[in-house]
Amino acid sequence: MAESPAATRERLRVVGRRLPRHDARDKVLARTLYAADWQMPGMLEGAVLRSPYPAARITRIDTSRAAACPGVAAVLTARDVPHNILWTDVPGQTSVVGPLRARVQVLADDQVRYQGEAVALVAAETREIADRALELIDVAYEAQPGVFTTEDALRPDAPRVHEEGNVLATWRVRCGDADTALARAHAVVEQTYRCGLIDHAYLEPEAGVAWIDADGVVVVRASTQVIEHFRDVADVLGLPHNKVRVIGPYVGGGFGGKEDVTVEVFLGLLAYRTGRPVRMVWSRQESLLARPKRHPFTLRYRTGAARDGTLLAHRIELTADAGAYAYLSALVLLYATVTAAGPYRVPHVAVDARAVYTNNPPTSAMRGFGAMQMVLGYESQIDQIARRLGLDPVEVRRRSALRRGDRLPVGQALDTHVAVAEAAERAWAALGPPRAPSSPRHRVGRGLACNLQPYGRLVWLRDWASAWVGLEADGSVVVRCGVPDVGGGQASSLCQIAAEALGVEPDRVTVHIADSALTPLAGTTTATRQLYMSGNAVLVAATQLHDEVRRVAARLLETPVEQVALADGAATAGPERRVLLADVVKECARLGVPRSHLGVYHAPAGDPVDLERGGGRVFPDYTFGAHAVEVEVDVDTGAASVRRHVACHDVGRAINPQSVEGQVQGGAVMGLGYGLMEEIIVDRGVNLTTSFASYLIPSALDVPDVEPIIIESGDGKGPFAARGIGEPPIGPPAAAIANAVEDAVGVRITDLPITPEKIARALGLLSGG
Amino acid sequence: MTELRIAFTLNGEPCEAQTAAHRTLLEVLRARGAVDVKEGCGEGVCGTCTVLLDGEPVSSCLVLAARAQGRDLMTVRGLGDAGAPHPLQSAFVAHGAAQCGFCTPGMLLTAYALLRDRPRASRAEIRRAIAGNLCRCTGYTKIIDAIAACAEGAARG
Amino acid sequence: MPAAPFDYEAPATLADALDLLRERGEDARPLAGGQSLVPLLTLRLARPRLVVDLDRLHELRAVRRTPGALEVGALVRHRALERGEGLLALCPLLQEAAALIGNARVRALGTVGGSVAHADPAAELPAVLRALDGAVVLRSARGERVVDAGDFFVGMLTTALAPGELLTAVRLPLPSPGAGFAVEEFSRRAGDFAVVAAVAVVELDGGAVARARVALAGVGPVPARLDRLEAALRGERLESGAIRRAVAERPLEIDPEGDIHASAEYRRHLAAVLTARALERAAEAAGRAIV
Repeated sequence: MAESPAATRERLRVVGRRLPRHDARDKVLARTLYAADWQMPGMLEGAVLRSPYPAARITRIDTSRAAACPGVAAVLTARDVPHNILWTDVPGQTSVVGPLRARVQVLADDQVRYQGEAVALVAAETREIADRALELIDVAYEAQPGVFTTEDALRPDAPRVHEEGNVLATWRVRCGDADTALARAHAVVEQTYRCGLIDHAYLEPEAGVAWIDADGVVVVRASTQVIEHFRDVADVLGLPHNKVRVIGPYVGGGFGGKEDVTVEVFLGLLAYRTGRPVRMVWSRQESLLARPKRHPFTLRYRTGAARDGTLLAHRIELTADAGAYAYLSALVLLYATVTAAGPYRVPHVAVDARAVYTNNPPTSAMRGFGAMQMVLGYESQIDQIARRLGLDPVEVRRRSALRRGDRLPVGQALDTHVAVAEAAERAWAALGPPRAPSSPRHRVGRGLACNLQPYGRLVWLRDWASAWVGLEADGSVVVRCGVPDVGGGQASSLCQIAAEALGVEPDRVTVHIADSALTPLAGTTTATRQLYMSGNAVLVAATQLHDEVRRVAARLLETPVEQVALADGAATAGPERRVLLADVVKECARLGVPRSHLGVYHAPAGDPVDLERGGGRVFPDYTFGAHAVEVEVDVDTGAASVRRHVACHDVGRAINPQSVEGQVQGGAVMGLGYGLMEEIIVDRGVNLTTSFASYLIPSALDVPDVEPIIIESGDGKGPFAARGIGEPPIGPPAAAIANAVEDAVGVRITDLPITPEKIARALGLLSGG
Repeated sequence: MTELRIAFTLNGEPCEAQTAAHRTLLEVLRARGAVDVKEGCGEGVCGTCTVLLDGEPVSSCLVLAARAQGRDLMTVRGLGDAGAPHPLQSAFVAHGAAQCGFCTPGMLLTAYALLRDRPRASRAEIRRAIAGNLCRCTGYTKIIDAIAACAEGAARG
Repeated sequence: MPAAPFDYEAPATLADALDLLRERGEDARPLAGGQSLVPLLTLRLARPRLVVDLDRLHELRAVRRTPGALEVGALVRHRALERGEGLLALCPLLQEAAALIGNARVRALGTVGGSVAHADPAAELPAVLRALDGAVVLRSARGERVVDAGDFFVGMLTTALAPGELLTAVRLPLPSPGAGFAVEEFSRRAGDFAVVAAVAVVELDGGAVARARVALAGVGPVPARLDRLEAALRGERLESGAIRRAVAERPLEIDPEGDIHASAEYRRHLAAVLTARALERAAEAAGRAIV
C-alpha cells in the first residue's frame, strides 16, 4: 500500500465521520413512505389463499362463488398464471451450477408441500371483500403423508417431497487427512449441535403496490432487498424483461427475508389481470406462517487438538432442513461448508454437508446465511478443548487463529488483514473485572466466540454493481444507484463516499436509489455486499468525475492539475486560488466535458471451484470478529441472562462509525435472540408460532447494551479499504452464551435456543432430567 | 354491521370519520392518510402502531375506532415537523437511533410520554418504558442513548 | 386483518347493557378494555354478531371500600392498580401484580374485569383474586350474584359467567395490616404472559405463620391454590430455609400441561421455585411490618 492506514484516516474529511443519516431525518418525522403506505386512485387490495395442510393433493378448486362476490375484481389460481414457475436460484447467477438452480410453483398446481403455500390470489375493492372472497374459494385437499424431520426425509422409504428425491444438495471439503489426524490427536472432542428454525421478524411485514404505467410497463413498488426481481415478474407474466419495473422504497427491515420474491409476482399478476393498481400487505401472522426462514442445522463435529491446544483436525457432518422448496438452500449450505472450520488454521478438515427437503416451512436467506450457524459448532468445540486442556479461552484461539496468507480448507488464501486474535483479545479484555452475582442463587460465567463471514458474493457469480454520479450546475451532487436500503445506511454511505471523492459536504449530495428503470443496477442488498459493491461503484464514478473536474479547474486556476484539490464545494490551488465547484461545472458544460459518470465495479471473479479438491478462491474476502459475554444463570430456574456483551469486528475502515456500531449492536442482539429465545415451532408441518406473542424476539429488557469495538485495520476490499459488516455480528452471540453458561454452571448446552428449561434439565433440576 | 360517525382531535386538528364499528383505530387512521402509524403485528405486541390516546400510549390495533369518539389523538406527526422537530426526534437522528425506521414512530411516542411523566428518567427506567416497543435493527442501545440525552439532567454535548 | 363485521352498541347505562346481553345471548360479547378481545376479533378467533361496548358505564369504574374488603369496578384499569390510585393503595399487592401485566399500552387500557372474565390461565389478576380469597360480582337482567373466585374459574378461558351475565366488580378481602405479600413471575420475555407466576400472602403471629396463602398461574386451566402447603405452613416459624423445606417436602397439588413455552415438568419445577420465593419474600415483608 502506498499510504499507511493512519495517513489515510488523516486525509479523509467525510468518510470516517459519525454523520447523522439523511434517511433518519425523514424517518423520525414519519415522512418515509414504506411499501404499505403507498396509495393510488382506484387501488384494489390483494390477498393470498394459503394451504392449511403441509402435504396434500389439490383435487378441486372452485372459485366461482368468490369471483361472483360483489367487489371482487380477480380470482387467480395456478391455471391463470402464464408461466407458473418462479426460479428462486441466486439472482444474477452467471454459471450454471447444478445445485444452485431452484424453482417453486407460483401458485400450487395440484400439490401443496408446506402449510401456508399459496394456492390462489384475490384482488377486490377492499381488504374485507378480499378476505370474504378467500373464504368463498372452495378447495378440496387430499391430505398426504409428509416428512417433517431430516432424519425421516433421508429414510429410503420416505415420501418424496419432490420427484427427484429428498436430498437437495450436497457439498464436500477434503483438506489433509482428517481421520488420521484425529486418531493421532492428543485431545478429541465430539459433539452434535442443533440450531433451530427462526424468522427474520423485521417490523415491517411484506407489502407492495403494483400498477400498469402509462407506457404499459408493469411497475411494482415493494419492500424488497432485490429490485432485480423485475425479471422474475416478467418471466411469470410472459413479458419482456424491459416491460417490468421494480421500485424499492426504504425497507422496514430485511435481514434476508426480503431477498427472495415475496409479494412482487402476486402483485404483478393481479395488476396485469385487472389493469388496476393493486396493493398487497401481508399480516404478521401470514409473514410468520408462509415466508422462508433460517435453516435449522444438525452439526456433528469431531475435533482434534495437540497437547498445547493447537487445532489439528475437524471431521464435520452438516445436515440442513431446506423445508419444502429449495430457494437458496444449496447456496446457504455452501456458505456453511466453506466456513465450518471457523477462523482457524486447521490442517486436516473433512466436511460433508447436505440439505434435505421436508414438508416444513421453506428455508432460505437470513443474515449470516449458513456461516452463522457454524459458529455454534466450531466455537463450542474449541471452548471444550480449552476446558479439557486447562487453557485460557483467548490463548487457545490465538494459537490457531488465521493470519494473512493462511488458506481456508477450501484452498482460498486470505489476502487481506485477518484480525481474529486481536478481536478475541480486545473483546475479552473489555469485559473487565468480573462482577458479583446479583443473588446467592445466581452464578456468573463468561464466554468468547470468534467468527468469519464472507462479504460479497461467490466469485463465480462474477458480481458487479454500477452507479451514476453527476454534478448539477450549482455544484450539488446526484448519485443514482439501484441499491435497496434496508435500514443499514446503504444509501447514506454512498453520499458520504461521493462527498469524500468530490470534496463537498454530504448534505450537498442527493441519492436516488432502487428503481430498476431509472437507477443503474447495483445488485442485491444481501451477502454483506452493498457498501462493498455499490460503494466501490460510486467511488469509481466519483473518482472519474473528480479527475475531469479537477482538470477543468486547473485550466480555470491556470495551475498544474496536481496542485488542484476539491474541497468545501470548491477547487483550490493553495490558500489563495479558489474557484467554486458550480463555476467549474459551468466551464465543463462550455467545454463539453462530461459532468457525470457511470461507475461499474467488478468484484474478483473466478470459475466454479471444486471445494473437495481445494480449488481456491470462493469469496472475495471475509470479515473477522469476536464477541465476549458475561452471563448470569439462575440456578433454580435455569434462566440465563446476558449482563455484558462486547462485540469486536475489523471493518477495515468505518465509512460511518455510527452506522457500523448500529450494525454491530443490532446484529449482536439478533444473535442473542437466536441464542436465547427465538424458535419457530413446527409440529408435523404445522407452525405453532405464527404470532408475535408466541414467536419471541428480544425486547429492550431482555438484552444488555452491546459495547462495540471497531477495529479499522485499513485493509479490505471495499471503498477506502472498508469490509462489510451487515451480517458478521449475528454469528458469535449464541456460541458465546453457550460457552459462558458452561463457565457459570458447568453444563454444555448444544441445542439452540438455550432456554431456561434446557439449562434446568442439564442441571438435573427436573425429575426426568 | 354498524356504521358510525366519529369525531376526534388528531394532532390538534378536529377530525371526523365515517367508519364501520368493527374497524380499529389503526385502520381508520391509516385510511385517512395518517400512515405515520405503522402496523407491525396486529396483536398489540410490537408497538409500531402506538398512538397517544388522551396522552397515554396505546396500541391503535387494539382499540376499536369507536373509542376515539371525543378523544384526543396524537401520532408522531404531532410531535414535530421538519421546521420544528421535537428534541427527541433530533436526538434519534443524532444518535443513530433510527435504522429501518419502522419502529421509530411508536418508539418516539412512547419516549415522549415517558419523559413527560418522568422528565429525569434513568437509563433503567427508559429501558423498561420501551420494553413494549420492539426493534429488530438497533439492539436498542442507540435508542436508549437518544432518549437519555433528552432527559433532564442529561449531560449535554 | 380487519375483524369480521359485527354490530356495535355502546349503552349508556348498565341496565341497557344487561338488556342487550340478555336479548342477544351468546351472539354478544361485552367489550371492556379490549386488550384481549380486540386481537381475538382481528385475528378472527372470535366472531361475535354484536359487541357491547361498556366504555360509557362509569359506574363500573368505581372503587369502594366495604368492611374488610375492596370492591373494584370491572372497568378499573391496570394502570390505576399499578399506580395505587385512591383506595387501591390499600392493597399494594395489586401494584406489584399489575406492574407485571403486559406492556405499558396494555396497562393503559386493560381492565380488571376484562382480565378476570377472560380467564387466561397465565394471567396475573385471576391468581391475585384467588390468593386473596376474592369473589366476583356478576350482574344480569335478572339480578346479581356473587361468586367466589374458586368457583368462578371453570376452565381454560372459561368461567361461571352465564349467557347474558356481566362481571361488574371484583371483591378483594384486604389482608390484615401486618400481612406481607409477593408476586414472583417467570416469563420467557419481559412483559409477556407468565409461564408460571406465584402470588403469596403471609400473615404472622408472634414470629410464626398465622396464615399463608399461595395462588399459582400457568400450572393448569385455572389459577390454583395450594391448600395442603398452606396448611402445613400454619404455625411454622420462619427460620432460614423453613419455607423451602416445606415446599420441597410435598409435591405441589397441581397438574400442569406442557405447551410451546414450557413442558409440564418444567412448569411443575418453576411452580415450586416461585412458590418458595414468593412465600419467603412475603414472610420477610410480614416480618418487617411487625417490627
